[in-house]
Order: sequence, then structure tokens, then C-alpha cells
Amino acid sequence: MMLIHCPYCDEKRPEIEFAYAGEAHIARPDAAEQQEMSDAQWSEFLFIRDNKRGEHCERWWHANGCNMFFNAVRNTVTDKFVKTYKMGQKRPSASQISKWNEGGNV
Amino acid sequence: MSEFRRPGRGLVDYDSPVKFSFDGKTYDGFEGDTVASALLASGVHLMGRSFKYHRPRGPVGAGSEEPNALITVTRGKGRMTPNLRATTMEIYAGKETASQNRYPGLGFDAGAFNNVFSAFFPAGFYNKTFMWPKSFWDKVYEPFIRKMAGLGPAPTEVDPDNYGSVYATCDVLIVGSGPAGLAAALAASKKDQDVILVDENPQLGGSLISSPEVTIDGLSAADWRAKTLKTLEKSGNVRLMPRTTAIGYYHDNFVALAERHTDHLPMVEPGRIRETLHRIRAGEVILAQGAIERPLVFDGNDRPGVMLASAAQTYLNIYGVAVGKELVVFTSHDSAYNAAFELAGANVRIASIIDARREVHAHLIEEAERRGIDVHIGMVVSGTKGKKRISEVEIYESVHNDRKRIKCDALLMCGGWTPSLHLWSHSKGSIKWDSQTGVYLPDKANENCVCIGASNGDFGVKAALDAGSKAGGGRKTYKTEEPDFGVGEVFDHLPSYKKSSKTKAFVDFQNDVTDKDIKLAVREGFHSIEHVKRYTTNGMATDQGKTSNLNALEIASKALGKDAPQVGLTTFRPPYTPTTFGALCGYRTDDLFEVTRKTAIDPWAEGQGAVFEPVGVWRRAWYFPQDGEDMHAAVARECKVTRDSLGIFDASTLGKIEVVGPDASKFMNLMYTNPWSKLGVGACRYGLMLGENGYIYDDGVVGRIAEDRFHVTTTTGGAPRVYRHMEDYLQTEFPELDVWLTSTTEQWSVIALNGPNARKLIAPFVEGIDLSPEAFPHMAVREGSIFGIPTRLFRVSFSGELGFEINIPSHFGLAVWKALFEAGQEYNITPYGTETMHVLRAEKGFIIVGQDTDGTVTPQDAGMNWIVSKKKKDFVGKRSLQRSDLVAEGRKQLIGLLTDDPKVVLEEGAQIVADPNQPIPMDMLGHVTSSYWSESLGKSVAMALVKDGFNLMGQTLHIPMAGGVVHKATVVKPVFYDPNGERLNVL
Amino acid sequence: MSFDIKIDQGVEIPEVLQSGRVVAELAGEKVRLSLRVKSADRTAVAKALGFTLPAKIGATSSKVGITCACLGPDEWIVIADQDKGGKLYGKALKLASKYDMSVTDVSFRNIGITVTGEGAADMINVGCPLDLRLAAFPVGSCTRSVYEAVPILLYRRAEDSFTVECWRSFAPYVVGLMAAHRSGAAST
Repeated sequence: MMLIHCPYCDEKRPEIEFAYAGEAHIARPDAAEQQEMSDAQWSEFLFIRDNKRGEHCERWWHANGCNMFFNAVRNTVTDKFVKTYKMGQKRPSASQISKWNEGGNV
Repeated sequence: MSEFRRPGRGLVDYDSPVKFSFDGKTYDGFEGDTVASALLASGVHLMGRSFKYHRPRGPVGAGSEEPNALITVTRGKGRMTPNLRATTMEIYAGKETASQNRYPGLGFDAGAFNNVFSAFFPAGFYNKTFMWPKSFWDKVYEPFIRKMAGLGPAPTEVDPDNYGSVYATCDVLIVGSGPAGLAAALAASKKDQDVILVDENPQLGGSLISSPEVTIDGLSAADWRAKTLKTLEKSGNVRLMPRTTAIGYYHDNFVALAERHTDHLPMVEPGRIRETLHRIRAGEVILAQGAIERPLVFDGNDRPGVMLASAAQTYLNIYGVAVGKELVVFTSHDSAYNAAFELAGANVRIASIIDARREVHAHLIEEAERRGIDVHIGMVVSGTKGKKRISEVEIYESVHNDRKRIKCDALLMCGGWTPSLHLWSHSKGSIKWDSQTGVYLPDKANENCVCIGASNGDFGVKAALDAGSKAGGGRKTYKTEEPDFGVGEVFDHLPSYKKSSKTKAFVDFQNDVTDKDIKLAVREGFHSIEHVKRYTTNGMATDQGKTSNLNALEIASKALGKDAPQVGLTTFRPPYTPTTFGALCGYRTDDLFEVTRKTAIDPWAEGQGAVFEPVGVWRRAWYFPQDGEDMHAAVARECKVTRDSLGIFDASTLGKIEVVGPDASKFMNLMYTNPWSKLGVGACRYGLMLGENGYIYDDGVVGRIAEDRFHVTTTTGGAPRVYRHMEDYLQTEFPELDVWLTSTTEQWSVIALNGPNARKLIAPFVEGIDLSPEAFPHMAVREGSIFGIPTRLFRVSFSGELGFEINIPSHFGLAVWKALFEAGQEYNITPYGTETMHVLRAEKGFIIVGQDTDGTVTPQDAGMNWIVSKKKKDFVGKRSLQRSDLVAEGRKQLIGLLTDDPKVVLEEGAQIVADPNQPIPMDMLGHVTSSYWSESLGKSVAMALVKDGFNLMGQTLHIPMAGGVVHKATVVKPVFYDPNGERLNVL
Repeated sequence: MSFDIKIDQGVEIPEVLQSGRVVAELAGEKVRLSLRVKSADRTAVAKALGFTLPAKIGATSSKVGITCACLGPDEWIVIADQDKGGKLYGKALKLASKYDMSVTDVSFRNIGITVTGEGAADMINVGCPLDLRLAAFPVGSCTRSVYEAVPILLYRRAEDSFTVECWRSFAPYVVGLMAAHRSGAAST
């Protein structure tokens, strides 16, 4: 059972308190955008996800903790969290992620 | 006392003799003995039969690495444990043990014919032989394999023992209590850290117990051990856990420990916990698991009496047992000389030391000669003799083709040492090959973890102590006197004059894998060690190759002509040693296996003899049989009374979410397909929720309690996911909305009253609410009180009858229910369960999400377009409803079915076809989703999802059943009862 | 007709937990409010209510008969004795028209179980994986977590005293697990 750093609680907590919530940074188009999207584009938004080998931006929910959804960069090969950050923060760049990697895990 | 005992040696209590039984015969031992040590003391080496060839076997080791001596221990009904290692089972008075995998007895075993015909059982035997015909598998092959090959029989009775499970946190977890582990604990304890020290053995101290010749800081190893343990016990911050195995090492220093409390005790009072699973989170893990001696691979190396040299040392020093009277030692490592000398010092005759190496340090030979021991350098053991026990070895020198026979009653072997990397590998620490010693060593840690002592390749007591001190945060260096641990040579092949077809040299004793099997696997094209492992089953037995992995690797590497690191090492996986299911379950058995949620009213239903059904993790009253009624009769009666007069139903399990805030209606507009802005305070509306993919996700009635407050209900099973769905959208897509969600499912008990007399029943007890139809119309909610208890009273109906749902604080649920039931006698009130609830709603054509929908049904498919707002710009799922696939013709649509024979109740899930005479496979149009006998209508009613169903109204479809019966049914609209809803308006 | 409307928490403390080193007790009827307040209004709302809404997740404020714990960035739970909390809900409801906040009555949703005595933390650790050493979870800490399969609210009242709150239907499971541990621990 992993420990996961919750960016709201600002502490590491047991994995069992959390739930995985899918890939991060897939914004839901607003009403106007939805109507402009073709079926193919809408399907892309609904169904197509990265199947990343390596650092993956994903959402977690501290369901049995502070109840907050947050984002995380997790390496899908090593299953280690590189960084967790609050909902609404931008997707980290590749160089940002490698900086975090050098600085050790949070 | 037995001639094999060496009184004065070992930790056994010579004042406490213990009698136990093995295969029905009584044996003597002492407290502190294991089954193996006590049997060896009685001169018994034969303790089991091997897996495939049923060859007679004795213990190879003295600890948890033991591959051969597997026994079954029985201690009363349900307390039979197979496949235990005799080398780790402590004896107690009256302990019943038995050997395994033999028939009719251990001495004579009918299955041993497998051995005679072993040429027909090569590597991959199972894969090659038991292939065809396919029909033979169930009836011939599998029973045969189960009978002839295998381990002890699995118990068939319920285990009456209790098991425990706990979490704990510590700063430092130390696995292994040898010199490295003890020194680490000592250092860490001085740093004021919380320390846990575990060891799988009953005594802490590891190799220190069997190192009488060693001194540490001027004390004998035994005295230093005793003093250190006393210091640790007194420290207050070190928890010592003997008889505890670290079985698995998981992410972030999460380590599972299985502690055995009672297996060593003669008397166990009922209820006592047998084993506890400790789930430890450690700041740092120190692995000091030591090393396991490696067997040598030669013809006849599996005969009882052939064992590891270190095992003989352990039997002598821990149990005071000499494993034989006349021993031969066969080695390729210096360490076996020390074992030989120690045994010689204990009055055991060492006939010879056979050393496979061509060069050996002169002082070892001198020491041996000083003790009168012959040393044969450059020779190997080429064969063994003896039935239940070895009686003779043949030794061989390949250059001059010298052969010689030596009598003996035990043969000790040593092929070097394999550091134990099991837990290190669980933690995904990397390993590196050390070509010097021919072993894998820890390389880079993946967790906050160090591997020290012999498991890090640092052999010798001083090296272990110093490494321990450093790992524990100390700086102490120890002074020791100890024999040089020495060096060895690794042989990937021992010379033999015999034809290989005539030899049997075992690598994996437990799975009966020989060197020939591994070479054959390589010849047959298996080049990765992982494939060789699976094909030969080397290392796949319950000992997980603790003594065999490295030998197998050497042989495979040589056969492949590659270096060992290129061939790789198989992956170690938890558990480190076999672990009971009991320990893994802990407290979570029986009632605690899974949560069963019960409503406040549940005890009343139980008292009434209700039959229950699980709905999610809730248990709900299914129906209330009276006077021996079956379900059919009970449900028919419940339906009838409800429609005629009054029914009472516990709806407390409905999910409830309070949606509160100035933007509450905006949020509701986004989460549901229908509009909410104009819903007045005090009004209710049925809401339909979609997933973003446009499919029906949940439904329920929502009441507006205040301008900024909605009381949302969900399906019973859907409550957690609906809450998550809402919370997810609110936090991540609509964070600008000022609205908050609170689960209130269990704040309220919900009592549903349905039937024409519902209003009459509650009228006398309700205060603060005008119940008249004008003031309180259908689909409305009011706040007031009932029996003086505050209530949110909903006028809603899931049955088509006049209905109320009384929400009261759950701590009053039972009392209010009882009061209503008492008062309702005047109306012949009947309690009904979920089955009747389903019938009543099906008669009205109301859907159950998850029964009539399956995650691929849109509102349109369900005939519910009326609930999808055309005006709202956005709601979750809106865009998907426009997808071409979702508006296409010919989708499966929800329709009603009336069987031609009204008495036939279709089976839910039954497939529906247009033409029952079509050859199989038929074109299936869909399936029955709901089907019931309707007492009110005197016929069966059903709902079904059928391809293009809306266009099939009035047509006849067929439902072919197993056995050849074909039912006929007509497609109708799925509203069977009171289509105009007039019954809601009863006064 | 007259009816006996009794209150019932639906769970009893098994005998084995009623005495000994660690004792479990039902906390009794409490007033429980879920408060959600935007950070800008936190101090104003606290002032109006008469107790502190701590800003840090996991922290609590206590005055006689009332404990308020911060569970999330904008979430607090107030647990009050009946005599102190009776008017709280109405008071908070009124504030909601003035401030950006919500209040929901969850008094009957939860059952409180106090666990007191030497080794109380071990009893909690039977099902809860949190580090409960004093430095990691000091007196006054309060958080949601799990007790095996059950979501709980855990509050440390004193070094050797905790309150575990869970939803009503989960309470028999929680005390059942505690009782199983005690029965086993008593004999081990």
C-alpha cells in the first residue's frame, strides 16, 4: 500500500484512503464548444486516453480524507508519485517534471 | 537418552521431555525441539516422499528453506495443516504429525513406481503428456495428477481458529535477528527510535546461537546474545517479535508480518488468536536475512541423510542433536570445514571431507588431519547408497578415474552460500552479479532500505555486527574472535563417470527437478530463466527455490553458454514462506468478512421473519412470509393488500444527498437531464442523471426544501457513485458554483406508505402539515412532525398508489415504524419487501436503473425522452445524446411484454428472438429485464430491451428456453396498471 | 392511542469492550452539523457562531460541549452535546443567508464510539492504517480515514482516548472488529 501526498492535507496518507480518478487535464468543453465539435472530436474527448509508459498526469480523490480531487504525476513504470498538485494548476511541462524527478519525490 | 543426543548442547530444555507422534508412532523429544530435530535425535531421517517421483526424502535444511521434510500437523477437528516444514514445527506434548504424499506408508510407497519410470517423466512432462484428448482432462488426467503427484491434502473442514490483523508504524523495521540484525537494533534503540525486530525462528539470535566458537567483545556469542536481548527488552523502544515472518515487502516500506502465536503450544484455549498479520509502515527497513547454504548437485544427492553442512551445525548447537554417528562432508567451500570440526568436537566421527576443489588452504587440511579426518581434495561424490537413510558414498576423481566407497550414515554438503534477497527483491531493489563468489548481491535500493550482513555478501560475525551498527545509525566497531568464514568455488557441473541417463542429481528437491531437466529445457528452446523455471517447475514449489535457484541458474547458464547475469534470475514474490489464508484474512471472516449494512428498521423485519436479500452492501427485507407462505404467495398477498388498502415499506437505503448553496439549482440543471430552476420550494420532481456518455446513470426523486436546498435521492446501490460523480463535476468542472454536497443517506430513516389508506393512517399523527390533496399534492414535500418527531414528508409514489415517504431522523426510525404498524392494523397494513416493491413498480412501468438499464441505455431507448430538456444549453450527457450512434434507428429499446399464456412468468435475462425455428446461433433481439406475476392483473407482466422495440408494438416475439420450450409474447407499452394514474388521487 | 417513541442508535457495545485496559463506549446523542464556508467568511462565521473554525485541515477547536474540526479546505464538522448544540442548526441556517456557506444537519447520520485506555491507539490501528504516534497524530487531531472497510472520522481527545465516528449502519462492523481484537488480544 503506497503513501500518497495529498496537496490539500499536505501530508502523506495511506493509499487506501484514495481513489484513482482517471487521466488529468482533460477539460470538459463548455456548451458552445460541445455544439461545435464533430462526433469524432466528441468521441475523442469521451473515450480516448493516453496509455502512458512513464510519467502520467492523473487525477486522484482523497475520498476518505479531505474529500478533494487533485492531480498527480505518477510514473507508470515504477509506480512512484513524482508530484501531486492542486486541481486547477496547469499541466506540468516535461522539464518541470524532470526537475521534480531530480529533486526527489514529494 | 538417544545416542544422537549431545546433552549440554543446544537450547532445548533437557528437563522437559515431550512425547509426540509421527505417522502414528510415538517419539521422544525435549521442549525446544522441532519435529525434525526430535526425529533426527531418534535416528529418523526419512520424513517424506517427493512430489513427482515419490522418492524417500529427509530434511536438507534446518529452517524455513527446507524443501523435503513437509508434514501435516493435526490438532483436532478443522485444525489440520498440511505442508508444514518439520524443521520449523516446534513440538509439544501430544502433537500429531504425519508424512505426506505416500501410500500406503512412508517406508513402502506404491507411488514410487514413478521413480522407476522416471525416464518417462522429464521436464515439461505435464505439458507434453496430459494434452489430448481434451475430454480426458477432467476425468482421467487431473484426478491422476492430484492423486499421484502433490503435497498434503487440503483441509476440508472449516478452520475453527481465530486470526488477527493490525496496522502499526515504526521508525526502523529490522528483519532477521542474527548478529547484523541485533547490532542494528542496538544502535537504533540508542537513537530513541521506534524499532521492530522480527525473526521467523522461536529464538532470536540467528547464527549466533550456533556459533559456540565465536566471541564478541570478549563475551561468548551466547553471552553477547543474551546480554543484547536483555538490553533491547529493557530499552522500551524496541519490539522483539520472534516466530514472526516478514512475508512481503510492498510500496513505501509497507511490510507484512505474519506472527504465529499458538502453533507451538500444547494447549490452546478456545478463541485464542492463532496468527496475526501485522501491516507495518516503517520509516526505514533493515534487511538482515542472512544467507542460505547451497546444495551440491550430484547423483543421489536427495537420499535421506544428505543435508546441508550448516543444518547439521544448527541441529547440534540449537537442538543438541548429532545428525549421524559417522559423517562424510562434501564441499566446495571452506565453511564446511568449520562445521566438520565442530561436529568432531561433539564426539561425532567425521569419516572424510571430500572437497571438489583442486586447491584448498593448507591450514584447513592441517586442522582436519589434526582431528584425524581424511581430506580428499579434487574429488567429488559420484553416488550414494541406502534406503531409508544413506549408508555409503562413492567418491570419484576424474583425472585418474579413482573411485572409492566410504561408509557413513549422513552426508553433509556445502556448495557455497546464497545471500537471501527475497524481501529486497519484493521491494524492487536491484541486484548485481558477483562473479567472484557466484552470487547475486543487492545493488540499488528502491525504498528507504538497506541490506546488511550475509544477505549483502558480508560474511562473518564481525562484518555483520559492524554493518548492523552502521545501519542502525551507530558507529561501533566490534572485536570478535571467529574462525575465518573462508572462500569457495562455484561448480556449474560436477564430474561423473556415469552415463547421464543413469543418474539423478536433484536441483529442486521439492519439485523433483534434476540437472538433466534443466539441460533438456534449454535444448528444447527455453532460453530465459523465467521460461526454464516454468517449463521445469524449478523454484515453483512451496519453498520457492530457496535452495535451488542459483544452482538452476548455473546449470542453465552453462547449457546456454552464457554468463549467469545474461540469463537472469527469476523474480521473488511474496510470501517469503507459505502463509495461512487465516493470517491473510485476519479478523475479516464470517460476520466481519464484509460490511452488512442494516437499516434502523431491520431488527423489526427480522423479528417478523422477513426473508432478506443483499442490495449492494445493504441487506433489505425481500418479502415477509406468513404461515408457511412461499415467496410467490407472500408477494401476491403483499401486492394485493397494498393496492387494496395499505402497505408499509422500509425505503431507508435510498441514497440521499443534500445539495445546498446559492447555485444549487444551477448545479442540479447540469447534473440532471430535466430543468430545476422553476421547481418551487416544497415541490418534488423525478430526476434522471446521465453519464457524460449519454447513458442513464441513476435516477431518483428530488425535493426542493428551500430556494438553496435540494433533498436528492438516489438508487440504493448507486448512492456512493452518484455522490462521487457529483463531487467530481462540482470540484473539477464547475468549481465556480457556490454549492456544497453532503451525504445524508443515514441521517434519515425512510418509511414508504402506499395504498388508498395511506393518508388516513398518518393524518392523526402528523402535525404542522396540511395533508389535504389541495394543500399537499402528489410530488410535494413538507416539513412538520409525526408522533412529535421532525419529518420531511414526501408525497410520492413508486407503486402507482397514493403514497407517502416519511423521512425521520434515523434514530427514531424503528419507533415511528412500530407506531405506524400498530396504528395501521385498522387498515390491515402489510409490511412488504423489495420483491413486492419491484412488482408494483413494474406494473406501472417504472424502471430500475441497473436492472432495466445496463449502462448502454439512453433516455430515448428507455422511452423517457419526455424527461430530457430541449431548452437547457448544457447538462452532463447532453452532447452525447446527439451522437449518430445514439440517435440511430434500430437500437435496443425498452418495451413491455405480455405472454400469450398469462400464467407464464418469463425468466429475467431470457433471450428474445423473432423466429424460434432459425438454426442456432439464432439472431437475438434482446432480453427480458424485469418479469413478475401480477396478482392485481391476474397475469404476468414483463419488460424487455428489444432491438427496434418501439416499432414492434403488437407483434409476437419468442423466448426459447433451455429444454426446448418456447414462450410467445406480445410487444406492448410497458405500462400495465392504471395507465392514467387515477389511483394517485384517491381521497 | 399512545406510542412509545424511543431513540435508538442501533448498536450496542459488546461486553468484552466494556471493561479492561481499553474501554469502548457509545458517545450518546450528539448534535452534528456539516458546515461549508468559503475562506473569506470563515472568521466572520466563526465569530457569529461563537467558536473557532480552525483553518488547518485536521485541526480542531474545542470549548465546553462543542468540538469543531476542519476536515477539508472549506469543510468543518461541529459535534456538540445536546444542551450546547440544540440551537446551533437554526443559528447556522440564519447565517447562511448572509454568508457564502452551507449547513446540513447530520446529527443522526453518525454514531460516535469513544475508545479510552492504555493502548487505545492500538485498538484504532486494528483497522486504521494511520500513524497514530503522538508526534504524527497529536491530541486534538481529527480526520476522516478508514477502519478496514468502513469510512470513519477519527478524533484524538487525549493521548489514550479517541472518538471514532462512522455512519450508523457501519457501527456494528466497527465495534465487531474491535471486539474480535479484544477477544483475541485478551488471550494472546
